[in-house]
Amino acid sequence: MVERTRSLSPALTAFLEGDVSLMLASRDAAGWPTLGRVLACDVSSDGGRLTVYLARTPNAALVAAVAETGQAALVVTKPSTHHSIQLKGRDAAVAPAGEGAAPVVAHHVTGFTRDVGLIGFSTAFSRTLMAHDPRDLAAVTFTPEAAFDQTPGPRAGDPVEP
Amino acid sequence: MSRDICLDAIRSCLEGVIPAAIATADREGVPNISVLSQVHYMDPAHVALSYQFFNKTRRNILANPHATLQLIDPETVAQYRMRVRYLRTETAGPLFESMKAKLAGIASHTGMAGVFRLLGADVFEVLGIEVVPGATLPAPVRNRSLLAATRRCCERLSACTDLEELLDRTVTDLRALFGIDHAMVLMADEAGGRLYTVASLGYRASGIGSEIALGDGVIGVAARERTAIRITHATSDYAYGRAARDSSLEAGGAGDAREIPFPGLAAPHSQLAVPILAGGELIGVLFAESPEAMRFCYDDEDALATVASVLGAMIHVVRQSPAAEPAPEDAAVAEPRGAPARLHHHAADDSVFVDHQYLIKGVAGAILWWLVRQHAQHARTEFSNRELRLAPCIRLPEASENLEARLILLQRRLTERCEVLRLEKTGRGRFRLVVQRPLALEEMG
Repeated sequence: MVERTRSLSPALTAFLEGDVSLMLASRDAAGWPTLGRVLACDVSSDGGRLTVYLARTPNAALVAAVAETGQAALVVTKPSTHHSIQLKGRDAAVAPAGEGAAPVVAHHVTGFTRDVGLIGFSTAFSRTLMAHDPRDLAAVTFTPEAAFDQTPGPRAGDPVEP
Repeated sequence: MSRDICLDAIRSCLEGVIPAAIATADREGVPNISVLSQVHYMDPAHVALSYQFFNKTRRNILANPHATLQLIDPETVAQYRMRVRYLRTETAGPLFESMKAKLAGIASHTGMAGVFRLLGADVFEVLGIEVVPGATLPAPVRNRSLLAATRRCCERLSACTDLEELLDRTVTDLRALFGIDHAMVLMADEAGGRLYTVASLGYRASGIGSEIALGDGVIGVAARERTAIRITHATSDYAYGRAARDSSLEAGGAGDAREIPFPGLAAPHSQLAVPILAGGELIGVLFAESPEAMRFCYDDEDALATVASVLGAMIHVVRQSPAAEPAPEDAAVAEPRGAPARLHHHAADDSVFVDHQYLIKGVAGAILWWLVRQHAQHARTEFSNRELRLAPCIRLPEASENLEARLILLQRRLTERCEVLRLEKTGRGRFRLVVQRPLALEEMG
C-alpha cells in the first residue's frame, strides 16, 4: 500500500462518476477472494470516502466478505477506451442503501449504457446487465488508501496519484 | 457454492466478447481485480488464463492460488462466478499455441495489437461455478443443430469407400450441413515438413496442390501442434503471405513460378483448423474460414474436430482396403490428335511444365512424368497404383501411405490446368491416362 490518501482528485472523482463499468472485490476471513458487479459509485463531498451501490442478493458472498474483513478493491473501467483505475481500502463497511442511492444508480446505468453502446453493445444488453431490485441495494463505503493504473499493458498495477 | 454447473455449459462466456474479471488476494489478504482478455476452455475441469504481463494478479496467484472469476454470456447476459485454483504455467505446446492464436485475434479486434502478447498459459483447476442471480435475455434460436449435422456427416463419411469420395463428401457436407462456405482439406507429406491442398470449397481458384509449411498460419500451427487452432477476429499475425499470393493471382499464376497460389480468403475474420489424425499419425488438416467475425465458436470446433477424427479413421480404413481390382478390358482409347503438346520435366524438383505453363512438382510431378514416359515408350494408358509404388524413379518415401492423395492432387490439377492430359479412375487402385494430343517430352537437366 502506498500512503493513505487525503482525498481523491477532481479528475479521478469525475472519472469514477462518469460513464464507467465498476467491479468490487473483497476476500473472506479464510482468504478466498470474491467479486461482483457494482451499480454506481459516489464520492463524498470532501473526496475522502467512496460509497458503491450493489445488489445484495446476487452478491451475497461479496457483501458478507466485506462485512467480515473490511477489505475492498474497486476497479473502474471506461469500456470504450480501456482506461482503468483500481482503488483499495481496508475499512469497508456495509449498510443498507439510503434514499439517495436510486438517482445515483440511475445516472450511472445511463452512463454505462452510453459507453458500452460505443463499442457495440445494445441498450437491452446493458439494461439487463444492470437490472436490479431497488429494495435489494446495499451500500459499501470505504476510504481509498491507494490507487493503481489498471489500463491493460505493462504498466497495469503501477501506483497513481489519487 | 450451490447450483454448481458444468464448465462445458457456459463456454460462450469464454469467447472473449466480454472480458471476464478475476479477483485474487495477496499473502496479506489484500484483494485485487483484473480484467482478463482471455479465459481459455481446456476441458470440463480446467481453464487457462493468458499471462501477458507480470502484474498484480500474477504476483497474487503465485502467493495465493485461489481466485474467483466473474463471467458474462454475451448473448443472454447471464453471469457466472467461477472459483479456481492456480496449478501451473505453460510457455510452449498445443495449449500455448491455441491461446496465442486466439489472443492475436482478440488483440486486433480490441485495438490491443502489439500490446497483448502471450508469455504463458496459466492453468487453473475449476472448483465450482455458480449462476449469479439476475435478469437475462432469451437465448437466440440457432439456425442449425451442430450435433445433428455432425452425426449425419460422420455417418456419411463412414459409408465412403475411397479417399476421393471421402474428400468430396467432407467439403460437400461442410457446406450442406454446417453452412461453411470456405474450406480446405490438406494432407501432410511424408517428410512431415509441409501440407498440400487436396480438396477445397468456395474459392475463386481451387488451390489444389498449394502448400503450407508446418507452423505457418493457423493451418501450419494446427498441424505442428496437433491441436485445433481457432481465431474469432481478423489478425495479421496469422495471415498467409498475402502480398505474395495476391500478386501471383494477378499474374494469373502463370509463368515460371513453381508455386500454386494458396487459395484462402483475402480478409478472413474467423478461421478454424483442426488436425486430421489416425493412430497418432498426422494425416492432414481440415480448415474452414469465414469473412464474418465470431463465425466459429467452441461448439463448431468440437463439431469439426469430430468430423476430422472420423475422416482420419476412415482414411486409415480405406488405406487398408484390398489393393487393385483385376485390370479392366482395354477401352477403346481415342488416338491423340493435333499439334504436339510440349512437356518439360526438371529433375531437380520433379516440376512439370506443359506448353511452358507450370503444372505440378514433387511426388505428383514425378508420377506424371513416369506416366507420360510409359505412354511414349510403350503406348500404355492403363495403370495401377501398385506399379507406381514400385517404380523406382518416382521416389516415393518409404512405406508411403499418401500415394492416393498424390494421385487425387494430380488428377484435380490436370482437370483444372491441362487440356492435354486427364486421369480417369477405372476401378479400385486403377486408373487410365487419357492423352488428347501427341506429346513431345523433354528432360531438362
